[in-house]
Amino acid sequence: MDTLSQERASFLATVAERIVPEVGTLDLNGRTRFFQIIDEALRARSPAVRRQFGSLLGVIRWLPLLRWGTSFERLAPERQHRVLSWLMKCPSRTLRQGFWGLRTMVFMGYYGQPETWESIGYVPRVDGNEALYA
Amino acid sequence: MPDASFDILIVGSGAGGGTVARELAPLCADGVRIAILEWGARLRKDEFTGREVEMAHRLFFESGGMLTKDRAMTLAAGRAYGGSTVVYTGTSLVMPRRVAERWGVPGLEWDDIERRSAKYAAENKVHSLPPDLQNDNNRLFAEGCRALGWKVEQFPINVDGCRGAGVCNLGCPNLAKQGTHRVQLPVAEQAGVEVITNAKVERIAEGECFVTVRDPGFGEPSPWAPGEYRVRSKVVIIAGNAVQSSALLLRSGLGADLPALGRYLTLHPALILVGEHERPLSNTAGHPKSFYCDEFLESAGFLLETCMYYPFTTAKNLIGFGAEHSQLMKVFQCHQQILVLAIDPPRVDNRVTVDKRGEPVVDYRLTGGVLDTLHRSMIAAAEVFFAAGARRVHVPAGERFFIGAEERDRLEELIPRRNVRPGQISVSSAHLMGGCRMGADPGTSVTDVWGQVHGYPWLFVADSSLFPRCSEVNPYLTVMALADRVAERIRDRREELLSS
Repeated sequence: MDTLSQERASFLATVAERIVPEVGTLDLNGRTRFFQIIDEALRARSPAVRRQFGSLLGVIRWLPLLRWGTSFERLAPERQHRVLSWLMKCPSRTLRQGFWGLRTMVFMGYYGQPETWESIGYVPRVDGNEALYA
Repeated sequence: MPDASFDILIVGSGAGGGTVARELAPLCADGVRIAILEWGARLRKDEFTGREVEMAHRLFFESGGMLTKDRAMTLAAGRAYGGSTVVYTGTSLVMPRRVAERWGVPGLEWDDIERRSAKYAAENKVHSLPPDLQNDNNRLFAEGCRALGWKVEQFPINVDGCRGAGVCNLGCPNLAKQGTHRVQLPVAEQAGVEVITNAKVERIAEGECFVTVRDPGFGEPSPWAPGEYRVRSKVVIIAGNAVQSSALLLRSGLGADLPALGRYLTLHPALILVGEHERPLSNTAGHPKSFYCDEFLESAGFLLETCMYYPFTTAKNLIGFGAEHSQLMKVFQCHQQILVLAIDPPRVDNRVTVDKRGEPVVDYRLTGGVLDTLHRSMIAAAEVFFAAGARRVHVPAGERFFIGAEERDRLEELIPRRNVRPGQISVSSAHLMGGCRMGADPGTSVTDVWGQVHGYPWLFVADSSLFPRCSEVNPYLTVMALADRVAERIRDRREELLSS
């Protein structure tokens, strides 16, 4: 990824698995596409938004230190889920909005890949009307 | 900086700009030079791939993810040769008489809007799909509404040769949708109107516009090479959408003369809800939007419509994440989807401003009344899902991710009003209206009833930014009707406007 450091990108993958568990099952090509989509989306945003995105990942990584004395990636999946659930409804509008933005990026990276569509039963076809008669 | 010169410049090529161009095009035969400056690209047929992320990037401002200032709403507006008419579902409703009466613009009669709407409905081949081309997602909506005793109507749509690709909002890969890119713009070009794509109008002044042409990396090349241009014109017509038209006029310095500029923006806030059925449905095949229910339009201010979105759009509109979210996404074939649209009031403080770079900032607040409406609409949509046989539903403000069919008698309790909070549900808009509203009073409106900007005889607006209030129904035919009026006024004032 050009828009995130290797370390941040690797942490993003950890968080992404909590948001869409199937991210963890992507093969190398799928993972590459996942990061490419997010990278392109971030590149289209302003430098300030890119910085905020990186900072948010930093916050998520170290936020659990306050409660559990360790970083996000060292928590059990259930606790990681609790951290993200708290962020989603958190009283701080900035953090809450940041999490919604992160969630959108992860969904885009995974569900935006045509290669994942078949697994969810989304099979668009240009002659869809034919399918109505099949 | 290279110069170009025209008699009439039209900014934008969507429902407004495309219509004005088509109606003024006969003037070209008399030597009148007309050009359209369109920010977006003219895509080649093979570029309509139906792939969500790719098409969003090619066809929408900010890939369809423009946010309001408080980030509580996502705004979608098309940016392409044909504007938003490339990316809507083709629904073509005539604005009801009662709405025109609520608009209350002196000199604007519903009969006139209706007559002009009918003209474009005919030109765009608007018709109702036969029952054998309605998929399960649509049929279930109609059945659910009827089972509840609610009135359901069929959408007239403007398709010709629809093969049911189901990706209308991503640009039709079969080129079946009769948007301005298929109907009005080709006629205008044939008559001599020039269309300059990939051209962003930076600002305007009397007699000239400043334009930047960029290569976006897709679509047909613009007739003009990338660079900055000064374009002279006697008449300028702005039709760039409610947000962009207001922003262009504001960064051109008109705000000081026009206190209502950018204000009274309405967005027709929308939510997507999902019902899960036991069996796979035909939901992505076929036209996605056949029916609507306006049972509650007058009493509670919302409209229910069928819809069927794509994986990423659906995923981001569901609330939550993780296993439950994934579970619902995995049964995409079993989804029934409903779109709810709330009527929002025109508020002076809901407005477009520009930042220091001149880019639009949409300062819009969801009022308590609109949140009440969204709350009622969610409960109504859940009732439709269950009446149609859904096993469970996902409602954005639900106490839990899923509400099961066995809980359908407890919807009021399971979808509490307190959960309907900005920033905690995914609210979106594709119907941007107002900002350059029509009216008689320059203190509370931006243009007269014919779209001429107050105090600027050479400047007109011809898009949904003219709406003084929400149109309450899908707005495209109304935009075309108003744009037709603008063209008529320019033709009538031709001698005065075009004399050198």
